[in-house]
Order: sequence, then C-alpha cells, then structure tokens
Amino acid sequence: MTCLEGPHSNQGPDKSCGPMAPEEELVSSSQLEEEEEENEEEEEDLDPDLAPDLEEGVDEEEEDLGDPAILSAVTNTQRGLPSSPGIKASGALGMSPASLHFLWQTLDYLSPVPFRPTHPSTSSPVRHFGPRLLPPDPYVFCSPPTSWSPRFSLPSHLTQLHPQHQRILQLQQHSRTPRSPAKKPWSRQSDAYANLMTRKEKDWVIKVQMVQLQSEKPCLDDYYYQNYYQKLEKKEADQELLGQRSKVESLKLVTPYIQKAEAYESVVRFEGSLGQVAMSTCFSPRRAIDAVPHGTPEPEIGAASSQRLRVLSWIEKMFLQLLEIEEGKKNGPPQSCYSEQQRNQVEKLFQALKTQEQSNLEETADGFLQVLSVRKGKALVARLLPFLPRDLAVSLLLAVIHHLPLLVKRDAADQVLQMLFKPLGKYISHLTFHELLQGLQGLMLLPPGSSERPVTVVLQNQFGISLLYALLSHGAKLVSLDPSLEEPSSDHTAWTDIVILIAWEIAQMPTASLAEPLTFPSNLLPLFCRHVDKQLVQQLEATMQLAWIY
Amino acid sequence: MNYMPGTASLIEDIDKKHLVLLRDGRTLIGFLRSIDQFANLVLHQTVERIHVGKKYGDIPRGIFVVRGENVVLLGEIDLEKESDTPLQQVSIEEILEEQRVEQQTKLENEKIKVQALKDRGLSIPRADTLDEY
Repeated sequence: MTCLEGPHSNQGPDKSCGPMAPEEELVSSSQLEEEEEENEEEEEDLDPDLAPDLEEGVDEEEEDLGDPAILSAVTNTQRGLPSSPGIKASGALGMSPASLHFLWQTLDYLSPVPFRPTHPSTSSPVRHFGPRLLPPDPYVFCSPPTSWSPRFSLPSHLTQLHPQHQRILQLQQHSRTPRSPAKKPWSRQSDAYANLMTRKEKDWVIKVQMVQLQSEKPCLDDYYYQNYYQKLEKKEADQELLGQRSKVESLKLVTPYIQKAEAYESVVRFEGSLGQVAMSTCFSPRRAIDAVPHGTPEPEIGAASSQRLRVLSWIEKMFLQLLEIEEGKKNGPPQSCYSEQQRNQVEKLFQALKTQEQSNLEETADGFLQVLSVRKGKALVARLLPFLPRDLAVSLLLAVIHHLPLLVKRDAADQVLQMLFKPLGKYISHLTFHELLQGLQGLMLLPPGSSERPVTVVLQNQFGISLLYALLSHGAKLVSLDPSLEEPSSDHTAWTDIVILIAWEIAQMPTASLAEPLTFPSNLLPLFCRHVDKQLVQQLEATMQLAWIY
Repeated sequence: MNYMPGTASLIEDIDKKHLVLLRDGRTLIGFLRSIDQFANLVLHQTVERIHVGKKYGDIPRGIFVVRGENVVLLGEIDLEKESDTPLQQVSIEEILEEQRVEQQTKLENEKIKVQALKDRGLSIPRADTLDEY
C-alpha cells in the first residue's frame, strides 16, 4: 500500500511519536485548517494548552465528536512525520485528509514509542538510561490494512501470549480483513480525557521502575531474561543468515546505571564516649544504633549429629568453591589448560577435600569417606574430577577402590554412586599395574571375624561391579601389553590369584544378586578363560551373560 | 512493552477501558487514566458491576483512585466485544435485591453447615474472617 510506505520511510530512530493516540476519532475537514497553524508552533511535549477543552462537550454517556480531542490526537500523530508536515502531505499522497488522519492514527498507535534518552527535563544522573532506540518494527508496517482495528495491540515477539490467545488473535486478524466498509471501527465517542497522564509523568513512572531494576550483575539477578534474550538474538541472527533480509532487531531492556550513593557510617563513635552519635543525611535518614549480634559458642550437641552437621557444612563450602571453578571455566576462554589461578583453586579444593582440617592421617581418609557418604559429596567429587590433575585424580581413585565395600554399604540408601563411575573410569587407564594390584588385593582380604570377602558386597552393587570389571579389564590389557609381567613373579601370581578368586566369587553368586554392570569390557571372558578351568568358565559365562542381559 | 521490553507495565494500558477486580470482591469497570509505581490506579467513568447469576447491574461511580495493593487483577476490555455478552443487564435496584437474596441464602447455608459441624464437635475457622485483625 502506497500510503503505508510513505510514513514508513520518514520514520527514523529519533522520532518521538506522541504517546499512544486515543483510539478512535472522526475527523472533519473544518478542524484541519485550525490544526495546520498549530503544527508549527509545537514543542516536544504535549502542551497542556492543547488538552481537550472539556466544555466543548464530550458527554460521558453519549457518543459525541469531541473536537478538541482530535486536535491533540492529530498533533500527536503529526509529530511523528516532521518532514511531511500534516495536511500538506495528504495532497501529495493523493488521499483525502480524513483517511490520511485515520492512517496516521493507526500508525501512531502501532509504532513502538521510542524512548528519548536525553530528556531535557530529567536531571543529569538519569541521562544514561532508556532502551536502545530502534527504527520502528517493520513488522508493524507490513501487515495492517486500513480497516484493521487497532484496538488490540500488536503482539510483538516480545509479548508472551498464551498459545490460545495467539490463535484467537490470528483468527481475528484474518476475519477482520473482509470487513464491510459501512461499519467504522472508529465510530465511538472521542476520548476527551485522553492524555491526562502526560508524557512527563509516564516517563517519571518508568524511571522509577527502571531504578528499581538496576543491578551490578544482571547475569545473576536477571538470569532468565538475559538467557531468553540471548536465545532470541541468536534466533534472529540465524533468520537473517537464512535470508530473511530485514534485520529485525529486538528491543532489550537496558536498566540504567545509576551511581549508588556512597555508603556512609550512619552511626559514629567518638573515642572515649559512652555512646554512639547517629548521623543522617537526606538520602539516608537516621539509622538506629546498630544491634550487633555477638557470636555465642554453640552448645555441644550430640557428637554424632554434630559430626554429621560439620561434614555437611564442609561439603557446602567446598561446593561453593567448585561452583566458582566451574564458573571460571565457563566464562574464560575455551581451552583445556587452566590458568594459574584456576589451578590454585582446584588444588586448594582438593586439599580441603582430603584433609578437612584433620592432622591425623587415618582420619584424613575417614573424612574423605564421610564426604563420599553424602549424596552431595559424591556429586562434588564427580564434578571436581574433570578439573583435577592426573596424579591427584588417581589418588582419589585409589582411595575409592580401597574403601569400596564401605562406600557400597553406605550407598545402600541413595544408590547414586553411579555418578562417580564415568569420571573415575577415565582415570582407571592411568593406574599402574602395581597400584591396581594393591587396590584389588585389598578387596580380597578376608576381614577378621567374617567369612565373607569384601568383594562379595562389591559384586552386588552396580557401581562396584562396573568398577571391578573395568579394573580387571585394565589389568588384562596391561598384562597383554607388557610381556615382562608374564614371567613368574610375585606380581604375576598375585594377579592370577585375584582373577581366579573373583571368577570363583562370581560363579558362586546367585544370578539374581549379581548386579548389572554399567559397561561390560570385552576382554574379561578371555581373561577368565586363561586362568580358570573350563567348567568354571562355562558357569561364569552363563552367570555373567544372564546378568548382562537383565 | 515498548518502553521497557521484557517487562510488564501498565503504561500501555492508559486511556483504555479496563475491568478491575478488587480484593474485596468488587468489580470495577472504567478507563484507566493514571498509574504510579505502586500500580495505584485512577479510573475514570467508573462503573461498579454487580453480577448475580446471569444478570448484572451497573452502578455509576465516577472517578476512582484505587490503591495498588487492593487490586487482584485487571484486564483490558475490548470495546467492540463489550456488548457481545450472554449476560443480561438489569436495573440497579433489581440487582441489589438479587445480591441481597444471594447473600442471605449463602449465610443460611453457612449457618447450617457450622451448626452441623458444631454438633459433631468440629469448628472450622472462616477464611473471610481471617483477614480481619
């Protein structure tokens, strides 16, 4: 439509269209001559002089033409088109003044009102703020036919509509186009009371609301909106790439950065005085004498519960450090080598994990175990492992293997040891044969006063059996790679003993209690074949395959 | 939305006809003329609409200034669709009478319920009296 294109080309980013025009007016040509003179003299703000003259008679109950209201409305719309002042343009476009006004009102109503950042009336600290000024959304200008009712605001992509609502609006749009020309959507009483709230006042309210929104770290405070906006921008960039020519820029909320008033000590102490003198300014009225809570030593609760509480609070502190490390990794450059600072942090955290402020070596391991007994502690270790340097990670792995039966027992309630499998599994291949042997041997030892080997318990737990299989597989690989290990030595005998023992244990176990491993290494069965007699192997095969299937 | 993208604001609702539901259960319909940062509202040409069943009645009230905290919700009224309602408008006297009757029946039912509960040794505090200090 030609008429639409005209104003579109004139609108630039710095136009201040008037505030939302009142919805419906009828225009009579007699008004237009009066308005023509008024045009030139106007200021930016809507003059109160132009406010509707109440006496000219908008009767509240009836449907009347409120002529003065049109004045203000039209002048509003005209302000958006300074280069083609008012009525003169109508001749150029070849339209009647009435329909042109109609059109301008539509456009004015629909165009996004740009927000002027340098409003002369506001004070200087506030000058920064305002959303990014953009050319009015082209989407607005592309669609509406003149008969389209402006009564519902155009849903931009920023408006979150209920899908039902959206469907209804679309239906309405489609159904409205073949509208009978006789029925005018504008034929309502003109709003004589429009713009009682002036532009200045609206700006003021918005300013107050914006001030309340300011924050130093929007990524934290306004996480969901920032992420949503990033997604939106990405989508638009993709659309642009895909060939949708028009660069549709979406508006973003930019909160003002206003310098916070300097914090001051509202309560002043003079030396040698017995009390405090309260100071106050107009920005921060008098603050009452501060009540300082003195840290009273907590009464000794039962040792067990306090121990548990201590472990829990310790885990929380370590988790916070871990989150910092992860945040650093996320924000920093995407590289696998960590900065010095990050490495220090990780090191510190590892020490914290291991030692827990206990000097006794025995208790160290115990502390680590206690951390691992808590679900959150397991999550902590699982998330920390990718950051650890190899030797530290391997030491953790060995500690886990060493205490595997205990961990399995304690995990009975949560069953979340599995989360440790993947990170730990990565480091299994870094174990030396000797370390492996040591770890496995620990599992084979008969504890005093019990006929059951720890390995039995391990086999019944998914994590335990998976870890065990992975270790055995690694051992088999090492043996096959290094022919020197084949020679009869204490290591070799130890290895064979372990393998035989484990095979025997597996065969002994009823299939039902054998846990299903997370991964089943392919070199296990051949390993068993080598060391164990045929009958046992067959038995093993049956058991393990069955367990694997289920 | 245009002034502050990504937020909800009443600025665009100014000079439009709204239906406002208050905390005390009243329904007001009027043109929203002014707001402030607390969402206090200035309603113009306000009408208090009382609904009883399928009937409603309007009481013209003039100008209302509503304190923001008392508003439950508000929504814009589509002026075209406004008359397109299955409800039947009646006179003020009639609707007030209907309302009184409705209140009375409600109170009576409530009384019966409370009595029945009392007979069984139970007492349930009434939600509407909880708000009063």
